[in-house]
Amino acid sequence: MTEAVLSAPVVKPAPDRERLAALGFVAPSVLIIAVVFVLPLALLLGVSVLDSKGGPTTAHYVRLLGTPYYLGVIWNSLRLGLLTTLIAFVISYPAAFALARARGPLRSALLATLFLPLAASVIVKAFAWTILLRSDGLINTVLIALGIIEDPIRMIFTQTALIIGAVNIFLPFMVLPIYAVVAQLDGRYAEAAATLGASPAVVFLRVILPLTLPGIIAGVALVFSLSVSAYVVPTLLIGEKYPTLATTIAKAYLLARDPGFGAAAGVVLLAIAVVVVALSTLLSREPK
Amino acid sequence: MSEAAPHLVISGVSKRYGAATVLERVDLTIRRGELVTLLGPSGCGKTTLLRAIAGLAPPDTGTIALAGRDVTHVPPHRRNVGVVFQNYALFPHLTVAGNVAFGLKVRGTPKAEIDLAVRRALALVKLGHLGGRRISALSGGQQQRVALARAIAVEPDVLLFDEALSALDRKLREEMQVELRRLLQEVKATAIFVTHDQDEALTMSDRVAVMNKGRIEQLAAPRELYARPASLFALNFVGLSTRIAGQVVGAQDGMVEVVTPVGRLSARGAFQPGASVIVATRPEQLRLGADAGANSAAGRVRSVVFQGSRTLVDVDAGAGASLLAELSGREAEVPRVHDEVRFAWPVAETFAFAAEAAP
Amino acid sequence: MMTRAAIVVCWVLAIGLALFLVLPLAVIAAASFSPTPVFDLPLSGASLRWYGRIGRLDGFWPSLFLSLQIALLSTALSLVAGTLAAIAIARGKLPGATALGTLLVSPLMMPGLVLGIALLQYFRMIGFTATWSALLVAHLVVTLPYVARTMIAGLSRFDFTLIEAARTLGCTYAGSVIRVMVPALAPSFLISGLFSLLASFDNYPVSIFLTDVRSKTLPIRMLQYIEEAPDPTLAALSTLILAGTLVLLLISDRLVGLHRMAGTAD
Repeated sequence: MTEAVLSAPVVKPAPDRERLAALGFVAPSVLIIAVVFVLPLALLLGVSVLDSKGGPTTAHYVRLLGTPYYLGVIWNSLRLGLLTTLIAFVISYPAAFALARARGPLRSALLATLFLPLAASVIVKAFAWTILLRSDGLINTVLIALGIIEDPIRMIFTQTALIIGAVNIFLPFMVLPIYAVVAQLDGRYAEAAATLGASPAVVFLRVILPLTLPGIIAGVALVFSLSVSAYVVPTLLIGEKYPTLATTIAKAYLLARDPGFGAAAGVVLLAIAVVVVALSTLLSREPK
Repeated sequence: MSEAAPHLVISGVSKRYGAATVLERVDLTIRRGELVTLLGPSGCGKTTLLRAIAGLAPPDTGTIALAGRDVTHVPPHRRNVGVVFQNYALFPHLTVAGNVAFGLKVRGTPKAEIDLAVRRALALVKLGHLGGRRISALSGGQQQRVALARAIAVEPDVLLFDEALSALDRKLREEMQVELRRLLQEVKATAIFVTHDQDEALTMSDRVAVMNKGRIEQLAAPRELYARPASLFALNFVGLSTRIAGQVVGAQDGMVEVVTPVGRLSARGAFQPGASVIVATRPEQLRLGADAGANSAAGRVRSVVFQGSRTLVDVDAGAGASLLAELSGREAEVPRVHDEVRFAWPVAETFAFAAEAAP
Repeated sequence: MMTRAAIVVCWVLAIGLALFLVLPLAVIAAASFSPTPVFDLPLSGASLRWYGRIGRLDGFWPSLFLSLQIALLSTALSLVAGTLAAIAIARGKLPGATALGTLLVSPLMMPGLVLGIALLQYFRMIGFTATWSALLVAHLVVTLPYVARTMIAGLSRFDFTLIEAARTLGCTYAGSVIRVMVPALAPSFLISGLFSLLASFDNYPVSIFLTDVRSKTLPIRMLQYIEEAPDPTLAALSTLILAGTLVLLLISDRLVGLHRMAGTAD
């Protein structure tokens, strides 16, 4: 060790270059999200409490939350979300177990049936359902040919059509998160539980269900937030008869030119989405 | 080995991360062909020193010279070092041969030469037949060999091993230690190992640097390190020992007289009378029975642990002091638990260390 | 693990689900070959006449090009920005990295329609009225979360020691990234690129508020066709889009494997 080194002044810790680089790396993305997502949503919040002259008002919310018609609209959205999510879950959860057990070409084929519709346009699928559910459509033709019905039943523009279409379109978003968790499920947990004296039902309720809960929460949150705010599906499959928050918002902006009211409806829809995200985060964080 | 010119010279190297000082003016000189281990507990700075040599964590102050060239601020890719990482860091998208060829490829070596070097490196680690395999198809031991071949293939000026054997299971690790040492001597490599495993350090290296709190506490050949620890830390970190606290009552010619709970003991060390010290010795120095002119202490046997070639006897010497004795397998008489025994050990093998230096 | 009856139920549901999901796609494909202007299924014959009419749909080509431009550009930009962000977040050198990750992914869970009207208000307020640029910027918010989510997941499994290994073997930092990190992350890249491409190409609820009469994206144009005059031409167009998607999926499956996509694309 030389004298020069000994007497060298203590160097101040250099600014952490790596941290600076990391800041530079996230900056573009954060900027995009802040400027084109957070800021506009904040502005929307502001617009929702302004009247047409720019003064503060709660009129839009009073109208939205105080008239039976619009309460019905909100309920329509929630109902669409709840029914779609429930039905999608009941189908997806058991199916995910079969999917996880599938191997080779069968697995590829099953996964392809999940990905292809996921990758296909919502509009294309909704259009397909309008063809399928018409009075002279495939479903009626088949039912008549089978002798189940004599005359075509009216399905398009009914709530049945809406729910069938919504379930069909949002199903992959339920199956995939559940499948991802189930596929990684270690079979030894169930075996261990069985050797400890648990019956199949107990094994399911106490071991498998809690272990697959993260996938369930993710799927439920995703399908609910997608279906509660769906726009194309109700527009094509049921139309004016079933007004939802989404169709109300679109109408307020595209036809009625009533941005304040549209913004308020948007904020309500946003609030529903935020609650769903918050709930799912809270639930999946809970220790098992 | 002849006294060769310094090959790697580290002088006054310091490194801080925020408020924490990880390296404190470290000096270390290594000769060509030497195998040196940096030994110490986690957080002692050994990995940081290795990374500084590799160029992955340039020091705040000080210089590093490799093969006669100041490389302190040379980026890693122009240093010509070979690193074997803790988890091997093998490229998963390349084959075994692809991994070994990587360093030569990025250096722009002609293909024929690369093929030759890859074959030679893989033969050296006895993996000549696995060149086409994917990395994920290899066992831990094989991956370790590929990592070694990859580092050797570029003929680096120094080979650096970061806890390179720690992921292997014990038996494989011990085999690899011996084989690796032989192999490195064969290719006349200069190598630095970082480890917290004292057996690995003693087995593999020509010299061991015991590191603690960012400093090198002792740099010595394994035998000397074990027999003549320079500090209480070095004594504790390498091998087992008997340690008894006491107070110096007399000092003369590098020897001290110490009063301890087990009696008066003589030890090597330079202290003023009244100093608090720890008196220590290695367990294999202890012999059953009294011996005139030697240190001795008595107590009741607390436990006897049979370990094959040796037997460890732990003795409660009273007042919180204990003795640890190692009896070789040839010893006829081995005490049993609860026996009252007396052990003696040579004064020349007894050391005194400053008590406040205790970790 | 499961009783026999439960296993049977699972398989029946899985097969039923697969058929149910494919049904509308099959119907569209079948309808596109209809010899008559109505969708009477089963078909009484087969014809390719509707495919020939796609190009003659009012405003079809400009819409297709607009959608392709926006999808490709926004995906490319998102891949760059999202990957950089994911690197910083996955390395964890930033305080609040997890929160930042959540922020970048959060638009995925928010209703697109609300984002659409919010952007409409916002762009009007700041006087940003160029339709093409407005669409591109808006679609960045649509595509970026897909990239951020997939790349953060991919990078959290990436061993950064590999970069150091490459550097000690003679690679520059940039060289190490290209030679080691890029190949290791290729699957995540492909998946996130594919998903963000489709998300942008298919987006309706955000675009509807940002387009004008002259420049409409393909989904908006298609919905307009469906509402105005649905005929098998639309089915033909949809079938072509489906076929394109199928090709993309097959390539991805060959390169990455669908089961890996299912794992990372949750």
